[in-house]
Amino acid sequence: MKKNRHLFKKVSFNRVGFGLTNRSRQTVMGYLFLFPMLLFYAVFFMIPILFSLFLSFSEWSGYDLSSIKWVGFRNYRQLLSPDSEFVFPILTNTLLFAFGSVILSLVFSVVIAYMITRLRFEGFWRTLYFLPMVTTVVAVGNVWKFMYDPNGGLINALLNALGLPTIAFLDDPNTALGSIIVVSAWASIGGSVLILTAGLKSIPETYYEAAVLEGAGSAQLFWHITLPLLRPSVLFVLITGFISGLQSFTLILVMTGDGGPANATNVGGLEMYNQAFQYGAWGIACAMAFILFVIVFIATVLQLRIFRRGGVESY
Amino acid sequence: MKPKFPWFSYLVVIVGAIMMVFPFLDMFFTSFKGADEINQIEYKLLPKEFKLDNFVEAFNQMNMGLLFKNSIIVSVSVTVLVLLTSTLAGYALTKLRFKGRNAIFRFTLSTMMFPPFLFLIPNYYIMVHFPLVNGNNIFGEGGNGGLAASILALILPFAVSGFGIFLMRQFILNIPDALIEAARIDGASEFRIFWQIVMPMTMPAQATLAIFTFISQWNEFIWSLLIYTVNNDLATLPVGIQMLQSYLDPTLTQALVSAALTISVVPVFIVFLLLQKYYIQGMMLSGIKE
Repeated sequence: MKKNRHLFKKVSFNRVGFGLTNRSRQTVMGYLFLFPMLLFYAVFFMIPILFSLFLSFSEWSGYDLSSIKWVGFRNYRQLLSPDSEFVFPILTNTLLFAFGSVILSLVFSVVIAYMITRLRFEGFWRTLYFLPMVTTVVAVGNVWKFMYDPNGGLINALLNALGLPTIAFLDDPNTALGSIIVVSAWASIGGSVLILTAGLKSIPETYYEAAVLEGAGSAQLFWHITLPLLRPSVLFVLITGFISGLQSFTLILVMTGDGGPANATNVGGLEMYNQAFQYGAWGIACAMAFILFVIVFIATVLQLRIFRRGGVESY
Repeated sequence: MKPKFPWFSYLVVIVGAIMMVFPFLDMFFTSFKGADEINQIEYKLLPKEFKLDNFVEAFNQMNMGLLFKNSIIVSVSVTVLVLLTSTLAGYALTKLRFKGRNAIFRFTLSTMMFPPFLFLIPNYYIMVHFPLVNGNNIFGEGGNGGLAASILALILPFAVSGFGIFLMRQFILNIPDALIEAARIDGASEFRIFWQIVMPMTMPAQATLAIFTFISQWNEFIWSLLIYTVNNDLATLPVGIQMLQSYLDPTLTQALVSAALTISVVPVFIVFLLLQKYYIQGMMLSGIKE
């Protein structure tokens, strides 16, 4: 080995001709190859993060750098004060939206993922459930908006056919957020089914066989073998879904525009977007971004903690 | 284990599948409906007749030709750039030895913990006030929208992907060192090794990353929306369809929007159905990360 390395050095020294050793040649090449990436992270990652962290302590309308006014913790104090609209209803909506859509999606996807494994043409069924995952949020949002329409929309037509009154799903503050949660859950079932399937496939067949020999029915198999052994995958879907739910606002932007009626469907990301680009309150908007980021970050750390400790073998 | 016929599972899965597919069918059939059919209170799934008028109108009224062109340029460019930057970085982080390599890799992983919404505001400012572009001075002031007025604004902020680098690094780790070193001893330059050994050998991972990147870029909405506010000619399909709705003939809006959405969704469905295997690999990997 030692002898080889010696030879190696000598050869590359001769061939390269820069007068560089192999080691320093690799350093030069390494940084050359990484240059596009490092430049990118400098311009679109480091600078923006530091810039917006700085802005979150300032008051600024986004035009002239010289008009940035340092205000210390004022934005944060204002946003987190007890009577702040950002905490209630916006952050509570955000949590409700994230939690609601992930739970709804999870319940359906556990059942569907399990049932699909018992059918023929498993892949075909999973593909159907996956289609919304590859569809732009603009299509998903608009199509559901049409379906929720009180005048001639599909869902109200169904309700009326059953003798129920028309519901103005997106215009009624009591139903608006729930209606969007349903869409968000609908759109994410396919992804969860996929991850849960991987978990299901890792449960040894022999467990089922033994239980069947003992006389267990399919419901018992599901409750006493599948569900407990699926726990790591369920937890994974739950946390990753929750994290992405906390950040998500484009569906709401497409379906209600500004988070209305009143603030009924307003969430953190959307409020941040509107504060910056509709009202020109960049300082406040950046403070919102960082508050939301801290919440997302805590959830992410939790996820990494849980899955480092074990339980990811199933992937 | 498939014992007796699981009729109950079939029932549930089929009902569920109908609920998954129905909105798309509704969108598809609505795109053939006339004004009288959309505006009636009674709901009907199927149109009276299958005429292509709405598709033609959508193309004219929403300038879909431009939207298509923008979406294709952006999605293809981003995909090519992500493949290139990820493979370059993946190679450097595995097969070249230098100081700081592990620190850089750890940094790349940690960037994935920062959610995209955090960058919306500052990156918008950076784009509009990019120094020395489009009339901007060295401090980025005085110009006409800076980089945000050019299609580069839709491409550059997506040119590097932490996930892509991670994926390629994992894949290149499996290429034997001996192969690379043999090529080096034979006098191949690092660039040659990269193009003639690493690129061809990582084709399966490239395919996964390509389709994954392409589809998510084709569907990208919020950043494109911001850039659209600076320069309306940079509308991509999702942005154009969302923003131009209010300019359409109100009696036909729903039909025209459905037609436009159908046109924009179908290509992705086809790509996905053909290359599903690769897409799903990417999706599973993106869930694992570490």
